[in-house]
Amino acid sequence: MTASAPVLSLRGVRKVYPSSPAPVVAVDGVDLQVDAGEIVAVLGPNGAGKTTTLDMVLGLVLPTAGTVEVLGGSPEMAARGGRVSAVLQSGGLLRDLTVGETVLAVAALHRARSRVEAVMERAGIADLARRKVRSCSGGEQQRLRFALALLPDPQVLVLDEPTAGMDVGARRSFWETMHEETRDGRTVLFATHYLEEAQAFAPRTVLVDHGRILADGPTAQLRGIVGDRTVLATVPGAADGVLTRLRAVPGVREVHRAGDRVTVNGTSSDDVARLLLTELGGRDLEIAAPTLESAFLALTGEGQAR
Amino acid sequence: MNVTYLRIDLVRQLRDGMYISFVIALPVVMYLLFGTAFGASADVVGRGDTRFYVMSAMAAYGASVGATSIAASAAMELLQGWGRQLALTPLRPPAFVATKVVVALAVSAVGALAVTVVGAATGAHVSALWVWIVTFLVAWLGSSLFALYGLVVAQVFRSETAIGVASASLVVWAFFGNLFVPLSGTVQQIARWTPMYGYAGLVRWSQMQGHSVTSSQVDPLWLLVLNWVAWAAAFAVLATWANRRGRARQ
Repeated sequence: MTASAPVLSLRGVRKVYPSSPAPVVAVDGVDLQVDAGEIVAVLGPNGAGKTTTLDMVLGLVLPTAGTVEVLGGSPEMAARGGRVSAVLQSGGLLRDLTVGETVLAVAALHRARSRVEAVMERAGIADLARRKVRSCSGGEQQRLRFALALLPDPQVLVLDEPTAGMDVGARRSFWETMHEETRDGRTVLFATHYLEEAQAFAPRTVLVDHGRILADGPTAQLRGIVGDRTVLATVPGAADGVLTRLRAVPGVREVHRAGDRVTVNGTSSDDVARLLLTELGGRDLEIAAPTLESAFLALTGEGQAR
Repeated sequence: MNVTYLRIDLVRQLRDGMYISFVIALPVVMYLLFGTAFGASADVVGRGDTRFYVMSAMAAYGASVGATSIAASAAMELLQGWGRQLALTPLRPPAFVATKVVVALAVSAVGALAVTVVGAATGAHVSALWVWIVTFLVAWLGSSLFALYGLVVAQVFRSETAIGVASASLVVWAFFGNLFVPLSGTVQQIARWTPMYGYAGLVRWSQMQGHSVTSSQVDPLWLLVLNWVAWAAAFAVLATWANRRGRARQ
C-alpha cells in the first residue's frame, strides 16, 4: 500500500432505512478518509449513525448512496480476507459454546489456527478457554470478541463501542490491551460515546450526530472547542448587575440566572469562581467539567442542542 | 465447507441432551402407538406389513423433525448476532447453509435409526433386507429437504418461536405427506403439491412402488422425485437469500 492511498475512504455515504411513516436517515452524507496507522474515534450520542457507518465499513450494510472503499477495494472483500476485522457492539457469540471453541471455530474459518494461543494470551482469555460463553461476564465476552477480531491479524481494526457495559476497571484494562495492539501500526477506527475514551486513546476524533460529521480533527483541538466549563453558584438577591459583571469576565460565553442560582459557561472558570466568591457573595459553588453535551452545544449552537 | 467449524457446531448440538432425547423419543413413541394400533393384524401391504408401513412413516417424520429443528436453531444463532460475526470471515452463505444441512443430517440419522431399530425389534416385516436399507437411507438423506425448510422458517421468524413454528407446521406437512392417515380423493390431489408428499412417497417406494393403501391412484416415481427436487430448490434459494439479509443488523 502506498502512503498516498487512504486505508478507509467514504465519499458522500448515505444510508436510509425504509420505515413507516417516514424512512429513517441513519447516515446522511459522510465523507471520511483514514490513513494507515491512524487511530480515529467516532464520537457521538446514541442514534448518531455510528454503528451504521461502521457496518458499512465492514461490508455488513450496503450504503444507499455514495462509495465505501477499504484498503483500495470493497469492504466485503476486505472483511472476508480478514484484512479488516471488528469487535461488534453486542451479540456475535454463541452462548452454548466455550470460549476456546469459539476462538477455534473462527480461527478455522480464517485458516489461522496457529494464532489461537497467542491471540487468547493477548486478549487475556487464555485461562477462560473451558468456560461457556453464557457464564462469562460482559467484560470477558468483550475480550473474547477482541480475540476473534485479532485472529486474522487485520490491518484495520473496527471497534463499535467496545467498552459498553463494562465497569471502570474492565474498561481501563481493555484500553491497555488495545494500546499494545496498535504499536505495530494497525489502523483503528472506534465508536464511542465517552469523550474521555476519545481523549485518552485517539489522536483524531470525528464528531457525529444525526448521521452527519460535525467536526473532524485532532482530538486536542476538539478539547479546545469543548473546553467550556460550567460554574454554578447561589448568589442571594442576584440581579442584572451581577450578570453584567460576570459577562464582562474574558472567556465567558453565557450567563443564566434562575432565582438565586447563577450558571456561567466559559473557559475562564477560575476567574469566574474568584469573582463569585470574593466580590459577589456567592456560595455553594460548583464547577463542572466539559461533557460531550457541551461539545455538541458548542458545535451546533444552543438552539439545536438536545 | 470447513471441517473444524462443522465439528464444533455438531458437538454443540449433540451436547444438548434434552433435545437429542426428544428427537429420538418422539418418533419411537409415535411408532409404538400407531404401529400397534393399526398393525395388530399381519396385513400384507406391498412388499411388507402394516407395521413396516407405519415404521417407515415415523422414521420419515422423526428424521424431518430432527432436521427441521436443528436448522431452526439457526434462528437463535442469528438472533445472537453470530451471522454478523461469520460475515467477517471467509465463510460464505452457501457454505453456512451446507454446514447446517450436514449437522441436521447427523441428528436426523439418529432419529430415523432409532425408529428403524425399534421397528426391527417389534417385528415389522418386509420381504427383503434391501427394503430396510433403502427405506432408512431415503428417510435419512431425503430429510435434508426439511433442514432447508427449517432454515427458511428460522430466518423468517428470527426468534425462539421459529423452532415451534417449524415443528408445528411439520405436522401439517406430514398429514398432507400421507404419513399419519392414508389420503384419497381431492385431499390427495392437493397433497401432491405439498413439500412432504414427494419425500414420503420416496421413503415408501421400495415397499409400495407408488401405490396407496386406500386409493387406487398410483404415483409415478418421477412425480415424487420432481416434488422433492422442486421444493429443495425453492427452500435452498430462500434460505440463502434470508441468510444474506440476516447479515444486516436488525
